[in-house]
Amino acid sequence: MSTPVYLDNAATTPLDSRVLEAMLPHLGGRRGNASSLHASGAAALDAVEEARASVAAFMGAEPGEIFFTSGGTEADNIAVLGLAAASPENQHLVVSRIEHPAVRQAAEHLGRIGYEVSWIGVNEEGRVDPEEFAAALRPDTALAAVMWANNEVGTVQPVEELAVICEQRGVPLHVDAVQAAGRIRIDLGSVPIATLAISGHKLYGPQGVGALYVRRGVEVRPTVFGGGQEQGLRSGTHNVAGIAGLGEAARLAAEELDVRVAHEEALRDRILDGVCSIPGVRLNGHARERLSNNAHLYVEGVEAEGLVLLCDAIGFEIGSGSACASGGHKASSVLLAMGFDEQEAFSVVRVTVGKDTSEQEIDGFVEAFATAVARLRELSPLYAG
Amino acid sequence: MAERYHPQVIEHLVRPRHVGELPSPDGTGESGDSACGDVARFTVKVEDNVVREVRYKVYGCVACIAAGSALAELVQGEDLLRAASVTKEDVQEALGGPLPSGKEHALTLVLDALHKAIEDHFNRRAGSMLVDGYGGGRGTGKKTVVAAMSGGVDSAVTALLLKEAGYEVACVTFRLHDGERGSRSCCSPDTVLFARDTAHRMGLPHFTLNLKELFDRRVMQDFVGSYEAGKTPNPCVSCNAHVKFHAAAFLADRLGFDHVATGHYARVGEGPTLARPVDESKDQTYVLWPMPQELLARTVFPLGEYRKTEVRKIAEDRGLAVAYTPESQDICFIPDGNYRSFIRKKVAAEPGEIVDSGGEVLGRHAGVVDFTIGQRRGIGVSAPRPLYVTEVRPQSKQVVVGRKQDLEVREVRVSGMNWFLDPSEARAVQVRYNSVPVECEIEDAGDGEWIAHLPEPVAGVAPGQSAVFYTGDGQRVVGGGVVSRSRPKATVESGGGRAAGDIE
Repeated sequence: MSTPVYLDNAATTPLDSRVLEAMLPHLGGRRGNASSLHASGAAALDAVEEARASVAAFMGAEPGEIFFTSGGTEADNIAVLGLAAASPENQHLVVSRIEHPAVRQAAEHLGRIGYEVSWIGVNEEGRVDPEEFAAALRPDTALAAVMWANNEVGTVQPVEELAVICEQRGVPLHVDAVQAAGRIRIDLGSVPIATLAISGHKLYGPQGVGALYVRRGVEVRPTVFGGGQEQGLRSGTHNVAGIAGLGEAARLAAEELDVRVAHEEALRDRILDGVCSIPGVRLNGHARERLSNNAHLYVEGVEAEGLVLLCDAIGFEIGSGSACASGGHKASSVLLAMGFDEQEAFSVVRVTVGKDTSEQEIDGFVEAFATAVARLRELSPLYAG
Repeated sequence: MAERYHPQVIEHLVRPRHVGELPSPDGTGESGDSACGDVARFTVKVEDNVVREVRYKVYGCVACIAAGSALAELVQGEDLLRAASVTKEDVQEALGGPLPSGKEHALTLVLDALHKAIEDHFNRRAGSMLVDGYGGGRGTGKKTVVAAMSGGVDSAVTALLLKEAGYEVACVTFRLHDGERGSRSCCSPDTVLFARDTAHRMGLPHFTLNLKELFDRRVMQDFVGSYEAGKTPNPCVSCNAHVKFHAAAFLADRLGFDHVATGHYARVGEGPTLARPVDESKDQTYVLWPMPQELLARTVFPLGEYRKTEVRKIAEDRGLAVAYTPESQDICFIPDGNYRSFIRKKVAAEPGEIVDSGGEVLGRHAGVVDFTIGQRRGIGVSAPRPLYVTEVRPQSKQVVVGRKQDLEVREVRVSGMNWFLDPSEARAVQVRYNSVPVECEIEDAGDGEWIAHLPEPVAGVAPGQSAVFYTGDGQRVVGGGVVSRSRPKATVESGGGRAAGDIE
């Protein structure tokens, strides 16, 4: 069987060969701990700092504002828990209902230990209303958190507007930009976000590495303790190869962003043109304010798991809603927040293209998808056709 | 995902067997609902007790789609008895082994949909039996039996004992009313699903029949109507008279089986008639008296030879999960036991007077359906001595109360008789469940009515209850009927006529 066509780039992107090149020296020949004083250690430290500079440049930040982590989830956790710990007199949070579990569950944890959480809903397109958001902020709000773009439906949030509101009200805003990074140009010099999380493996870098941006002057108390690495905010020996990979991935993303976005948008729209003509198939989320690579589809009368595995069996890898939510039979909280009922929420799939996806692959997918939908509908007692 | 599907599951997803719906099926069954996420529908064509054609549809996860496909493949062209024996484990095996954890519901879902399709097939064949009851067919001399299975320990051990005694056994569970636990949802415990699992674990085929219409008409409506008429009904007696044995016999005839069996504690004695079981403390001959004799002739009561403690031990020894289930309710369709509130929901209560035997008004009541003869609690009239309901007069909406001795009667009039033996053999009569027969002399009063004369007075005999006559040794049932009225001792002594408001 030929290599399957990979259309699940929101779950993880393939490792760019140029990124792998940048990592290899740190996996093979070299052996230094970036905290050691000898030459090997210094070489490792150079690689880490080089990566820090390129990640900072990627998002319009200063190198001193970048902290390496083990991934997006850890960056989100450090930010939410650390911002809250920095102002213990404030016991209130404002969090959107569509956050990734890394933010949502950190906020729920704070809710269990005494914090009050105001959950901000979204409209049918998955967008937070800035007025509702502003109204929820209080003098005792320790932090607010809204993701830049949603990992399931791909809707982009009015983050610039929310950041300005937060700055005016003196509330630090944390932004999970794991999906947005590499698809939306991030310029933290002009957008007053307090903290922002990215992940290596969503922008053609390695898995197991991420970064947290912390604006100069914003206090985030550590929640990971140990050797004091990363200015004491994230202790633990540096994942030098991973960090070098993330740095190279960020450098390439900054350089190629416009080309990648144009390519992805064209392919995404090619998918939508192809599949939305099937009766009972429609796009979820915002039609325009959405990620360049994301086609999130509702398929009437068909349950996602069957569609995903049938597509897989005929050579096309797509996602069922959110990869994290597909383990248990539980409707996605993002979709419920957007007004889906439980059954509708089980009938969605997420198709996400990448910078290396080709037109032929998309055309093959559209045909396979139509076949799979038709076969599952033939099986469905709920679809009258 | 924590665990992945076996390639065999994916194979069924890619190439599902027997997909679709038969255009004019003999039976259709659906299980689950879209709120749970999964729905399965099976259609079957059955001829000569063989599943000639099966088609299925599923909305749900891949496990459900593949399980439906595997099950359809397993039963296509199979003998009905074999098809009804296919277990969850059989389906799982056809899918290459255990499903990922959390996906086991798929097996229950598709099996239930298939069984409902088979049930629908039998229900369609049953025709007027659903309303009128079934007459019964003829035996063939084979050691074959349909065993009624409720999900409790008694019926499970019944099926097991029959199997071990060399019978070919088919189990059947009846859907009698909507009050069964979880009968509306595939996600909650369900007595039918439990009974099916129990049968399948013993390697026995399991069938269901939908008897809701018959049960409503012959048992529940009769139950409510009796209360309205001031009588004290026994719904188990009505069910044995009109529903349970007839339905089991119907299925036996459809399958070409000779016998029917239930988990009642009784024996079939010479006559044939009902005879006391070994465990007299569990004796159920009193509630079985209206069984038609031709049905009794083909009935087996294996538990009649065992004590209840032995039955529980058998269940434990054989590892039947039913061994620890609690004793069943008195009235299965009123699980909370509050039959007054059940009646009140069905009939409007009309207030009336509470009077003494002299007609003096002592108080008011909210409705005659709240009272039965012999009742002491909840009368709502204060008196120096305890008061008992001695009579209920629905026509005048009066409840008569009196002293305990006013409840005593010396004669009981019985009608609607079902005789197994010659009436002259009757020497004793039992007038309440959980009591003992008392000596009597029987007199034919004509028009199908019989009078039991009691040398020693008996208290609390209520119209609507069963009166069952036994032989001199107390071991065999001569016959039974329904108490039409009883005559208080005082009335006998004064030689007075019928009390006002008395009804037949």
